[in-house]
Amino acid sequence: MSSESGTEPRASDAALIERIVQRDQTALAALYDRYAGMLSSVLNRILRDTQAAEEILQDIFFQLWRNPSRFDAARGSLPGWLMVIARNRAISRLRHHNPAAGGELAEAAAVSTVNIETAAAQQQLIGRVKGALENLPAEQRAAIELAYFEGMSHSEIAQRTGDPLGTVKTRLRSAVESLKRTLHAQAASTP
Amino acid sequence: MNAHPTREEDFDLYALGALEGDEKLAIESHVAQCADCAHKLAAARGRMAMLSLAAPRVEPSSAVKQRLLSQVRADAEGEARTRSSPATSRAPQSPERAPGFFTGWRAAILVPALAVLVIATAWLWNQNRLLNFEVAHLGDIVKTQQRGLVAMREAVDFMESHDTVTVALAPQSGQPQGAAHVMYNTKMGMLMYEGEIAPAPNAKSYELWVIPTDGKPINAGVFNPITGRADHWMMKMPPGVEPKMFAVTLEPQGGMPQPTGPMVLVGHA
Repeated sequence: MSSESGTEPRASDAALIERIVQRDQTALAALYDRYAGMLSSVLNRILRDTQAAEEILQDIFFQLWRNPSRFDAARGSLPGWLMVIARNRAISRLRHHNPAAGGELAEAAAVSTVNIETAAAQQQLIGRVKGALENLPAEQRAAIELAYFEGMSHSEIAQRTGDPLGTVKTRLRSAVESLKRTLHAQAASTP
Repeated sequence: MNAHPTREEDFDLYALGALEGDEKLAIESHVAQCADCAHKLAAARGRMAMLSLAAPRVEPSSAVKQRLLSQVRADAEGEARTRSSPATSRAPQSPERAPGFFTGWRAAILVPALAVLVIATAWLWNQNRLLNFEVAHLGDIVKTQQRGLVAMREAVDFMESHDTVTVALAPQSGQPQGAAHVMYNTKMGMLMYEGEIAPAPNAKSYELWVIPTDGKPINAGVFNPITGRADHWMMKMPPGVEPKMFAVTLEPQGGMPQPTGPMVLVGHA
């Protein structure tokens, strides 16, 4: 099934995007094989609705086919950009149940330097992110998960957890500081 | 242009979607005019997006890829048809075939009209989509403002109530210096903290406690002050709590369920 199998040398994301610009359907299939699982996971985590997650997943890749030039490789990596788009679409659907929250890939600017073009690199980064989250105190981890996966603001988290707003703000700030520190340290120690 | 955000983490908190009200607007209005901060925000979005990887793995069904590739194939065929047979330069009709409706003067009028109609439809569809976004965004703003108004009304009632009691919190010797007071109203079940205190040491946070006449201390807020800036917040107190004293303790960063560190500020109700 995977269009990445075979003896052909593995193409970079940038090369596959360039082939999509030239209307090469196999290049889109290769990118789908590379990142669909990762995007499907976050869409399902946010929406908890397989059908809605699959609709958005298909639409993201179809829009990538229609407008590959929306992705600017000079500004960061493709998976980081796709993850921002997937999360934004899912949160928008979750909060507004707005089917119109799809369409073109006119998402907010995002820069990510992560390079996870191989399954091994993806697994390694997944381990790093999960490890960084697991190292957080339980309250901080819960707060950051409510913000990221449920799209909740400070006051909405305070309302959900029953904690004072100031506590929630401090927790989230501490969580973000710790995550940045941990991920940075891990990245620096990764060969 | 308003000031640069004071902490780098403000960009991450914005990217998370946690900021609201004035804090959110301050970032938005600043990055609209500051390319450096706009880049920092884009980097924060990319950084926070990595949290997606913590989601439990769920592979999509194979039908999604099949549907996508069918959709792409149909789209590519449509593009190819458009390229190979532009409406305004059709191939000559074969002699066996009767002249179609879209020929001659009809084609000259109808084909451009059809093209205009298609473009107008696409434009209107896009406008509709943008308006839907705008309506959703405005709805968020209204909700935030409504919440702010309710909170302001509660704050005014709280401050004006004769049942609201003010307790000054005094600094303890050998501990970081500061001054603060707590106002509380057991009938309204509300509490307000306001104070200025030296920044917490590295990897520590301050935590405010309500120590009731009966029962365990109740967490009333974890905070990390910035030099020169007062901290203040209001919160609801659990019903039936009768405070005996208030204390600020120094705890591990992020706070603890029960006090473990030294008392920095203390006040008796």
